[in-house]
Amino acid sequence: MKRRVYIVLAVMIVLVPLGLLSESPAWGEWEDAYYQKVLGFLPEGINHAKGISPLIPDYTISRVNETVGYYLSALIGLVLIFLIYYLLAKLLRRRGKDAS
Amino acid sequence: MHIPDGYLSPTTVIATYSIAIPLWVYGLKHLKTVLDEETLPLIGALTAMSFIVMMFNIPIPGGTSGHAVGAVLIALLFGPWVGFISVSLVLLLQAVIFGDGGISTFAANALGMAFLGSFGGYYTYRVLHQWKFAPFVAGWMGVVLSALFIAIVLGIQPLFWTQKGIPLYFPFDLRTTITALVGSHMIAFGIVEGIFTQLVYGYVKGKDQEGKAGHEA
Repeated sequence: MKRRVYIVLAVMIVLVPLGLLSESPAWGEWEDAYYQKVLGFLPEGINHAKGISPLIPDYTISRVNETVGYYLSALIGLVLIFLIYYLLAKLLRRRGKDAS
Repeated sequence: MHIPDGYLSPTTVIATYSIAIPLWVYGLKHLKTVLDEETLPLIGALTAMSFIVMMFNIPIPGGTSGHAVGAVLIALLFGPWVGFISVSLVLLLQAVIFGDGGISTFAANALGMAFLGSFGGYYTYRVLHQWKFAPFVAGWMGVVLSALFIAIVLGIQPLFWTQKGIPLYFPFDLRTTITALVGSHMIAFGIVEGIFTQLVYGYVKGKDQEGKAGHEA
């Protein structure tokens, strides 16, 4: 099972730029200008949305080619996922030992 | 389906976090019993697949796009709690690193895409598991349930939170959100999730495992 999971993951990583085929946003995930155009106003909550500024907004790295940036985003995501699981496993194991 | 910050009223934010936090705590406890040297790389790779599959934006007529989630595949292979925690982790990374989905809306997104996707798909599979195309239907059902939840959470915003009749948060009503979100996921993205689940589950499990029930919850 393990080898086959890795094969599928590898194929998917290679295909990542296919995700750039669509310029359209997901339904509901519009720019502020869309609300201005359709409603004539921007809802207060959306106008004053407090978020954090993401490190790599929209999977785009500035001054880097779009496809390369998308690949890099995918790889950064992958590395972080494995790192978090590794740390989580360590943490959960230690806490498990403390409890026993 | 990733709800951005500012789309949900503070009441909705608090309500969704109050439901999600105990589920995350329980899910992490469950993950602890599953995670070992053997399963960690596998669960990591499957979580990575969920992250990647959400990067494949598929355009549909009407000027919007969408994607599969990959939650059902993890739920079928490692149980719905692992699916829920894995996809929650993906959503957290997407929100923090890539600005895909909000922080205040992370709990709502996790309840929809991670929890309902995993559990809806898993139990659909349990009911149909003897049928050849059970993984496809499970994938489809998981994503459609996710879309339904997100549609309800968005659609109730203008119902309850307005000022002088003007919506303060997400402005479109239930009829609109359900038509657009549930409709597009029934017709397009649910099919994609179904095909993805069917193909990868079948391939990863191999021939000898065919017909066997999914992982125990």
